[in-house]
Amino acid sequence: MESLGDTLWDVVISGTGLQQSLLALALSRSGKKILHIDPNEFYGGSEAAFSLQDAKSWVTHASNGSCGLVKSASIALPEDATGLSPSRAYSLALAPQLIHARSAILSQLVSSRAYRQVEFLAVGSFFIFSPSRDSAEASGLTRIPSTREEVFSTTAISAKEKRLLMKFLKFVLDHESSPHLETWQEHADSPLVDFLQKEFKMGGELQTYIITLTLSLDGQINTRDGLAVIRRHLSSMGVYGPGFAAIYPKWGGLSEIAQVSCRAGAVGGAVYMLGTGIETMEIAEDEVELHLTSGDNIKTRMLVRADDSPSGQTGVGRLVAVVGSPLTSLFEATVEGAPRPAVALIAFPAGSLSTAAGEESAYPVYLSVHSSETGECPVGQSVLYLTTLATGNVTGILERALDAFIHATSDSQAPQVLYRLQYEQLPGADTARAEGPIFTFPAPSPSLSFDDSVLEPVQEAWKKVMGEAAAEAEYMVFEDREGAMDDDVYE
Amino acid sequence: MADSSAPKPSSSVKLVLLGEAAVGKSSLVLRFVNNDFQENKEPTIGAAFLTQKCNLPTRTIKFEIWDTAGQERFASLAPMYYRNAQAALVVYDLTKPTSLIKAKHWVAELQRQASPGIVIALVGNKLDLTEDGTGSGGDAEDAGGEDSGDARKISTEEAKTYAEEEGLLFFETSAKTGFNVTEVFTAIANAIPETSLKTARGPGASHAAARTEEQRVNLNGPRDPNAKEGCAC
Repeated sequence: MESLGDTLWDVVISGTGLQQSLLALALSRSGKKILHIDPNEFYGGSEAAFSLQDAKSWVTHASNGSCGLVKSASIALPEDATGLSPSRAYSLALAPQLIHARSAILSQLVSSRAYRQVEFLAVGSFFIFSPSRDSAEASGLTRIPSTREEVFSTTAISAKEKRLLMKFLKFVLDHESSPHLETWQEHADSPLVDFLQKEFKMGGELQTYIITLTLSLDGQINTRDGLAVIRRHLSSMGVYGPGFAAIYPKWGGLSEIAQVSCRAGAVGGAVYMLGTGIETMEIAEDEVELHLTSGDNIKTRMLVRADDSPSGQTGVGRLVAVVGSPLTSLFEATVEGAPRPAVALIAFPAGSLSTAAGEESAYPVYLSVHSSETGECPVGQSVLYLTTLATGNVTGILERALDAFIHATSDSQAPQVLYRLQYEQLPGADTARAEGPIFTFPAPSPSLSFDDSVLEPVQEAWKKVMGEAAAEAEYMVFEDREGAMDDDVYE
Repeated sequence: MADSSAPKPSSSVKLVLLGEAAVGKSSLVLRFVNNDFQENKEPTIGAAFLTQKCNLPTRTIKFEIWDTAGQERFASLAPMYYRNAQAALVVYDLTKPTSLIKAKHWVAELQRQASPGIVIALVGNKLDLTEDGTGSGGDAEDAGGEDSGDARKISTEEAKTYAEEEGLLFFETSAKTGFNVTEVFTAIANAIPETSLKTARGPGASHAAARTEEQRVNLNGPRDPNAKEGCAC
């Protein structure tokens, strides 16, 4: 077989994170010569999903500083906990983002036919955690009503609040046209909470409901973005079935989409090498010469990679916990005919938690609960993904949230925490860069719901690689491959 | 309940093919999926994806088959394919001893890395090149010009003993004549434990099939075209 060095590659893609993998998918029918490498021994980069063993080596790696955008990674196994299953029974996601039904990534997965290899599950209810105000009152979780039916039927808010909420939901759906447009435009850049207060006279509780629907990490989302995000949520409701607005790819979220995309790349003839990074490079006019860690020297017309240098801004603290309970009550379908959800989301509003030392949570904490249906843990257990902005005693706050959640969900015996993985995800560059033959994707987004802006640089990179051919080609639109749709039954 | 006209539960099984280059992995799939055989088939580049339904008395299994290139260069592909796979077909060429060694490597890797409970079938292909080849399709040229007309280098006994030790299904096949090919896939379909099927997870598994439909979100299903910008109000 000819060696890697004998080929002039059209593009070398470095890293198998989501954006690089989607690029591989986009180029999978282009006939371009593609070498796709990853310095890691696993697929998915910052969007990977890990067995317990993989997570362990990742943490070791991260503490050596070899994952540029991760710090303070650690694993804790409670000494008295039993019941953790073998390593490979888990698939812990670094990017457990939910995907709204109206997200463009879903249309791209459908038009590229890649969706056939992904199994999607429904994301169910959003809940708000309310702390006990005095010792007599228990802390609890309240379901956020986000459809008309739910607003009608909820007992959590008063009739007056229902009217207000309904009025607001109507407003959002029509917020881009007159006269609504004029109402919010002057507040476009100020926080959504202020707008809700001023224009809708909404009190604290309703504000919290609405901010939670935006999944804003700092709770300070501006009115323009906030209205757009809520509109996406509302208009996503019912698109793929009754009762849910978002879906989640089984087996580890975006990791699965990255892998499916790489497989499509491989089916299209791209060459894949894991455990292979770029040692050094020399840039000539229209060619890059790469010296790979495998010892190969190769030439390529283009190099596409991802940024991994921290920008120095506030990162995101994450805690992944496995608990020994199926937490069944969180995964109930709320509408008749709805699929049983595999994911539930709980928001701890800013100020609702405090550490032992009395530090209050300055920002919301979000907790995404995944049932074993996600394939991320064995039956009878659940995986909890907690996220908050990494300020102050982030570890303490996340631990408190975990604790508070466990007590709020159990009447009698609190489920046991079997495993904890903690780390901080650092932000990097937020825009893509094109410098001659080198294209660099921005750092992964910390957002909790898939953000379509992730897709734009992928298409940009695709255009660069395709050159003039991009003009005639339809982006991410492919026929099913022969054999993939054969439904004949073999008796 | 046992209404024969009721549709049988149907579930998908991800199956990955592994083995040294040129042992006939793609040919086995081609025989299974299209009942076809190509002499001198081009090597698979990277990987291919095919689907085929297999009808069992009580259920239908839809195989999602990932056919990977056997070349060493593509070893990086394999983990991506056997991740979450419920079944693996590890193929060797029974006229080529090194291919069994490679097959054993794959079996070890699967046992180490793949999903717990994966069903592995060891398949010795090119039975047509041996004396007991049932298809008599192995002409003199194929048989490597040996006097006996038997190119077999790996005895059934040897491979079978190994398969039994490792708890693998075992078959000798000929993709060329079609001998035993369907049997391999049917045996795998039967060996997949009910509980590892996507239809049977979690409590209340007696209504498992119905529940799967309840849970899986179909992106291409009957989707309300005007799904309603205004559904909330």
